[in-house]
Amino acid sequence: MKQIIDTVHHFFVPRHTNNFNAKLLHHDFLTIYLIVAILFGAGIKHMQQTGNILGYATDVTVQKLYELTNIERGRNNINNLNYNEELAEAARRKAEDMFAQDYWAHYGPKGETPWQFILASGYQYEYAGENLAKNFMFSDGVMKAWLDSTTHRDNLLRKEYADVGFAVVNGVLNGEETTLVVQMFGKPLYANDTVAAETPKTETVVAQKPIVSEVLAYDATPQNSSFFGTYLNINIVFFAILMIALMLDFYFAAKLNLIRVRGKNLIHFMFIGFIAIGAFIIIQGSIT
Amino acid sequence: MKTLVKHLKNEVKKHAFDYLLFITAGVVFLMGLNLFRGERLLEFIILLSFVSFYIIWGIYHHIIEDNLHLKIVLEYILIGFAVLFLIKVLIFPF
Repeated sequence: MKQIIDTVHHFFVPRHTNNFNAKLLHHDFLTIYLIVAILFGAGIKHMQQTGNILGYATDVTVQKLYELTNIERGRNNINNLNYNEELAEAARRKAEDMFAQDYWAHYGPKGETPWQFILASGYQYEYAGENLAKNFMFSDGVMKAWLDSTTHRDNLLRKEYADVGFAVVNGVLNGEETTLVVQMFGKPLYANDTVAAETPKTETVVAQKPIVSEVLAYDATPQNSSFFGTYLNINIVFFAILMIALMLDFYFAAKLNLIRVRGKNLIHFMFIGFIAIGAFIIIQGSIT
Repeated sequence: MKTLVKHLKNEVKKHAFDYLLFITAGVVFLMGLNLFRGERLLEFIILLSFVSFYIIWGIYHHIIEDNLHLKIVLEYILIGFAVLFLIKVLIFPF
């Protein structure tokens, strides 16, 4: 037990065994952190190239988005949506069109509307709607961003809809590797096999502000779905350990009145704190 | 804990301008990320700028304190770039 405590002290607390600098903050350890960080990045790229990790490197899945959509509708006492392959096909075509024509909007540069894609997929709608997202890291983040936006939320919780389809597609947009999420809603024309005597009322709804965030590809496989979650957790643990070491080193150096040739622990601590908050902003994606 | 707070107070009081400058840069960094969420290249440029500022701040601060040493510069560079490479994976996951 004493040995364990000694080891912990050696790594976190300035004392004679570590030249009065927490071992975790020594230059050799800092160099190891840098090398590990570089290897992590290179390793992930290599695994993507060799196919061990899909190129779609985020943690957004159609299945999860579908579950979250129905959970949110359930919370608001609105009917669950059925997953519709035609709407999913329309969403996929819409995403592919955005990559092909290099735009990110509900309406294309040549005036293409979301409804064209729905009709082209064979889905005859009475009501239809579309939500967009890009560059989200997690499905939860996509859903949260949509729910935080009034227009997207209204679209998501419209009681008129009966079906939904999703596409999560990877490609290059404006010269950047991007993952797009397209969510298409619909209510089929002549639902319940009723025949309308008059011209059917057609209503289309588009969220006014498309959403931006990080997302995963359409055919993502489950083994990749937790990879970036794990990577994020590793980062959190690393930052936490480093911050604890900095704080303990700062505390004991003050207590022992140590004068040392080294950087300011307080500024390292603040820097890592800002970066950690920044990392959470990065994975949240955005709404435009 | 009393020692810690006292030491923190002394440190911040002694270099109030430097710390205020760093906090301002940190807030601008977070606001920039928030403003350009989803724009990967801009996010990376903002991150790189903040890391560079942190290293420059370290050098400037220790020049003012008259205790600049190569070991100190190396310390800021190692921490800055280790963090940069870790977060880069989150910005460019491809």
